[in-house]
Amino acid sequence: MLSLENKIAVVTGGNSGIGYATAKDFIEQGANVIITGRNEAAINNAAATLGPQAEAFTADQSILADTKKLTAFIHERYKQIDILFVNAGITGKIGPFSEVTEENFDEVMNINTKGAFFTIQQFLPLIKDGGTIILLSSVNALSGMPGAIVYNASKAALNAFGRTLSRELVSRRIRVNTVNPGPVKTDILIKAGIPEEVVAGKDFAKSVPVGRSAEASEIAKLVTFLASDNAQFINGAEYNIDGGLFVHPLLG
Amino acid sequence: MTSFKDKIVVITGGNSGIGYTTAASFLEKGAKVLITGRNPGAVQQAVYALGHPAEGFKADQSDLKEVRRLADYIQGRFGTIDSLFINAGFAAVGPADALTEEEYDKIMNTNFKGAFFTIQYILPYIKDGGSITILSALNANAGMPGTSALSASKAALNSLARTLARELAGRRIRVNVVNPGVIETPLLDKAGLTEEARRFIADKTPVGRLGKPADVANLVTFLASENAGFITGAEYNVDGGLFVHPLIAS
Ligand SMILES: NC(=O)c1ccc[n+]([C@@H]2O[C@H](COP(=O)([O-])OP(=O)(O)OC[C@H]3O[C@@H](n4cnc5c(N)ncnc54)[C@H](OP(=O)(O)O)[C@@H]3O)[C@@H](O)[C@H]2O)c1
Ligand SMILES: NC(=O)c1ccc[n+]([C@@H]2O[C@H](COP(=O)([O-])OP(=O)(O)OC[C@H]3O[C@@H](n4cnc5c(N)ncnc54)[C@H](OP(=O)(O)O)[C@@H]3O)[C@@H](O)[C@H]2O)c1
Repeated sequence: MLSLENKIAVVTGGNSGIGYATAKDFIEQGANVIITGRNEAAINNAAATLGPQAEAFTADQSILADTKKLTAFIHERYKQIDILFVNAGITGKIGPFSEVTEENFDEVMNINTKGAFFTIQQFLPLIKDGGTIILLSSVNALSGMPGAIVYNASKAALNAFGRTLSRELVSRRIRVNTVNPGPVKTDILIKAGIPEEVVAGKDFAKSVPVGRSAEASEIAKLVTFLASDNAQFINGAEYNIDGGLFVHPLLG
Repeated sequence: MTSFKDKIVVITGGNSGIGYTTAASFLEKGAKVLITGRNPGAVQQAVYALGHPAEGFKADQSDLKEVRRLADYIQGRFGTIDSLFINAGFAAVGPADALTEEEYDKIMNTNFKGAFFTIQYILPYIKDGGSITILSALNANAGMPGTSALSASKAALNSLARTLARELAGRRIRVNVVNPGVIETPLLDKAGLTEEARRFIADKTPVGRLGKPADVANLVTFLASENAGFITGAEYNVDGGLFVHPLIAS
């Protein structure tokens, strides 16, 4: 049996990377999926590739008015949803604390944190009792990675949302969990303006105990598991999926 | 659905509760399963109830001679295995100031020392690319009164898993920990938990109920599957939200 048969899922930032791979996996498990993104062409393309169980809606997660339109559209079309996967995010410009401008700060926080917050708030009336919310954070939420100070904080705040909501939403039996990936093969760093050859040259895989970065599809498998009824007793959890990277080796 | 066809899984303490249900879940997905336990009658009965191809071996996890025999048996019977699930555990509660050395040793020898050497002795027979999953408890990260030695034995297990995740990465063996909340198993009866106490726990648990062995088995089989290929050194709670600290909320 498919684990998400007849479920309706929304994936924010679904036109590439982890969001796209998860939409694909949700669909393979029987769900209908609405993917969002800020780039209309990219999002429509992605939905077309995903096939008839996918639908695109253009909405920028950092613009509250877009989220309002998105929820109005979904309410009209589906009434209610089962799964909300808050995935859209950016790293922002990588660089030292003293060089972070207010603009850099706002861009990251508005998409990753404030945008996530109000996406959840506006979706809440549309999520079925007994439904589930999954937040895509990062092991950065738990770390002190130099050069990513705003990104780290934006994700730490997201994990705190996950924990608090897991307790606030119990009366509606909505489970809320957070996934913290390590390095995943997506274009996120290229989009952050880091030249391709620098990204390729930075051998993240060397620091990861399993010796490689993750495929986006591997993160998707964990998200699908958490979204399924097999995870009914999992709530308020933070699951690392990082090839062992977050285990501190101290001087090893 | 994930298939464990042709996979061989060893589960310690598999004749009851979480271990038993996890064995059933692996079997359903096509694996061959060997369960252990300290009581040969109980192990045999469980193997019979689980059905083919379940097998049993009597081994007390706290007795290193028996653990050695188990490892030898695994080598002779299977050559190599794919997954090891360290599940056997012993619980005793009571205030730290009244804990005797015998009680302390029994807890530590079963939950930690026994687990440590079970892994060490069986490790040569775990395939490269295989997995080890360790059943701990939320207690590993909590400070629940009355569980001083038990909690410490579980914290030691979580620490062991972290170190092994890095030490065994070269052999591509993934090592993860599952921390369950309160799960309805015979352990609760053995601990004399009243109906009233169960209701209290369900009320304290955000999801509003105690866990079922299948809740844990679903996660353990996921972690042992190829879908979890990038997951190692992780600690996953399956607790209905209990571990999220409410601080001063009611
Ligand atoms: N890749 C990693 O190593 C890694 C590790 C840990 C966590 N993460 C997290 O994983 C999530 C997905 O990232 P990814 O690696 O899959 O990168 P990605 O391929 O860039 O995907 C991010 C997605 O989010 C969309 N998005 C960005 N800003 C948006 C906005 N304001 N409104 C709507 N959609 C927006 C992107 O659309 P555009 O194409 O328009 O930008 C894209 O579809 C992010 O939250 C990221 O922080 C990634
Ligand atoms: N139930 C919970 O709420 C809960 C919560 C967190 C963690 N856990 C952990 O989950 C694990 C399984 O417990 P459970 O709840 O499923 O309890 P259970 O039903 O009592 O099962 C425990 C199993 O371990 C076996 N065992 C005990 N000591 C052993 C030893 N020295 N050598 C070999 N086997 C031994 C038991 O055999 P016998 O039948 O001979 O005793 C039994 O098969 C334990 O590690 C426990 O600490 C349970």
